[in-house]
Amino acid sequence: MVRFENVGMRYGMGPEVLRDINLHLEAGSFHFLTGPTGAGKSSLLKLLSLSHRPSRGLLTLFGKEASSLSRDELPELRRKIGVVYQEFRLLDHLTTLENVALPLRIAGVEEEQISRHVEELLDWVGLGNQVDARPPTLSGGEKQRVAIARAVINRPQLLIADEPTGSMDAEMGLRLMYLFQELNKIGTTVVVATHDLGLIRRFGYPVMYLKSGTLHHTHAEEYLQQFDRSLY
Amino acid sequence: MNLFGKTSELQLEKDASSRYLPVVISSMIFLAALALAGLFSISAAVENWSSEISGNLTVEIQHVGGDAQDRKVEEVVSFLKRTPGVETVRPISVEEAASLLEPFLGRADIIRELPLPRLVEVTISENSPVDLNAMATTLNKAIPEARLNTHRPWLDKMIVLARSVQFLAAAIMLLISIVTVIIVIFAARTGLVMHRDVIEVLHLIGARDTYIARQFQTYFARLSFLGSLPGLAFAIIVMVLLSLLAGRLDATLLSAPTMVLEGWIALAMLPVIVALLTLFTVRWIVLSSLKRMM
Ligand SMILES: Nc1ncnc2c1ncn2[C@@H]1O[C@H](COP(=O)(O)OP(=O)(O)OP(=O)(O)O)[C@@H](O)[C@H]1O
Ligand SMILES: [Mg+2]
Repeated sequence: MVRFENVGMRYGMGPEVLRDINLHLEAGSFHFLTGPTGAGKSSLLKLLSLSHRPSRGLLTLFGKEASSLSRDELPELRRKIGVVYQEFRLLDHLTTLENVALPLRIAGVEEEQISRHVEELLDWVGLGNQVDARPPTLSGGEKQRVAIARAVINRPQLLIADEPTGSMDAEMGLRLMYLFQELNKIGTTVVVATHDLGLIRRFGYPVMYLKSGTLHHTHAEEYLQQFDRSLY
Repeated sequence: MNLFGKTSELQLEKDASSRYLPVVISSMIFLAALALAGLFSISAAVENWSSEISGNLTVEIQHVGGDAQDRKVEEVVSFLKRTPGVETVRPISVEEAASLLEPFLGRADIIRELPLPRLVEVTISENSPVDLNAMATTLNKAIPEARLNTHRPWLDKMIVLARSVQFLAAAIMLLISIVTVIIVIFAARTGLVMHRDVIEVLHLIGARDTYIARQFQTYFARLSFLGSLPGLAFAIIVMVLLSLLAGRLDATLLSAPTMVLEGWIALAMLPVIVALLTLFTVRWIVLSSLKRMM
């Protein structure tokens, strides 16, 4: 599904923030991505979500090499990817409902179908009474849930979430993790970037961590051990 | 639906930068409408002159004096009556000529004694392909004292003048179109910069360039269309006033600018044309700018 081979990334003419990234995500897998702040988690997810191009290396998504994609192929591919951005990136002048409906509208789904789907999902994430509110009037956690709803509304094959539970209470965070888990069960490949060791501990999915610009793969327990040791 | 067209995701109608566009388009259309009206009324006028002048001719017969003079007039009249395409032939009597000249030269009884040429009025039937130059030569050969006055040199000069005015009007139209395109390009560019973030999000959600371009092009085309209406209305008011004034002055050459039907159709098409021009300009500019985004 996703393959990185010696991928490097830089912003403009700046230094490489990611170096020699090698990774392979199987279809239907669930991974955590972690690492200290500024390590490049969001940057790696930008590569994954086709919003930034690698400065070198090979990036293959859905069997297609990213640098060889034509401008016409890009939207089709992006529609298979749902992204929850760390800074949400909601459209402030649209209502909650319209924000969540946007991917469907863009994909040309029928209006009647759109409103049914969107309302159902908004109910599920606990925003049923906020459908007409606009993002600036929502709390951080509410905005985050709108962002999540928008990312999952068209059943993406790859779901990328950058700190998706950072702005909400533990209970709501868990609820959303269960949503991701449900989507993963029906075949969605999920990557969740998080600082939350509690989540990693609780769900135990494989962990990728970034350290000084390179990516390491490990298991949840192994990753958590270093923190357990350092506590004593 | 907002009057200026709501764009669902980009909210272009909230931009202060595009508000000036209808005003500018309005002024452009005002100028374009006047130029266009000039173009059409001048060509209508030229046609009028040509048909009037080539339809009404005079034959001048040199003064020979006495009975010979009347005989010459008769000869000319019968020659003309034999010529195909000639509709009416009317010799102007000495008395009539004298009374015509009286206001300029004084007493008619004295004028009658002057060695004035005699005139014959000729009208050519409309749509008959008469070669006036050939007719003038044959007439001159048959009766050397008679000369057909075709007014051609004068008409030719007027036509050259009219054509250069028309050329000027066309150049003005071209200039207006170019300026309009440039203004529209700036407005679209500004919109692209101001909405960069939203455009990026739309792209990332899977929007095609054409989806984004459509919002820009319909919005700006509508702005142009609505903006052009007051400009056109104002231009028509000015034209009506001008033609009323011209009618008052009773100017014979630039008689009230009567526009042909084609002229009115062209005027009515202006808003549509400017809307289409805007649409394609914006589409082209937006698509080519989006290509440079990831
Ligand atoms: N748009 C940008 N332009 C230039 N440099 C950037 C940009 N975004 C991030 N960086 C730099 O890239 C590096 C990695 O940033 P990134 O946002 O990927 O880290 P992160 O792991 O997501 O951090 P956090 O946990 O705080 O979200 C940082 O040094 C940052 O300064
Ligand atoms: Mg980040």
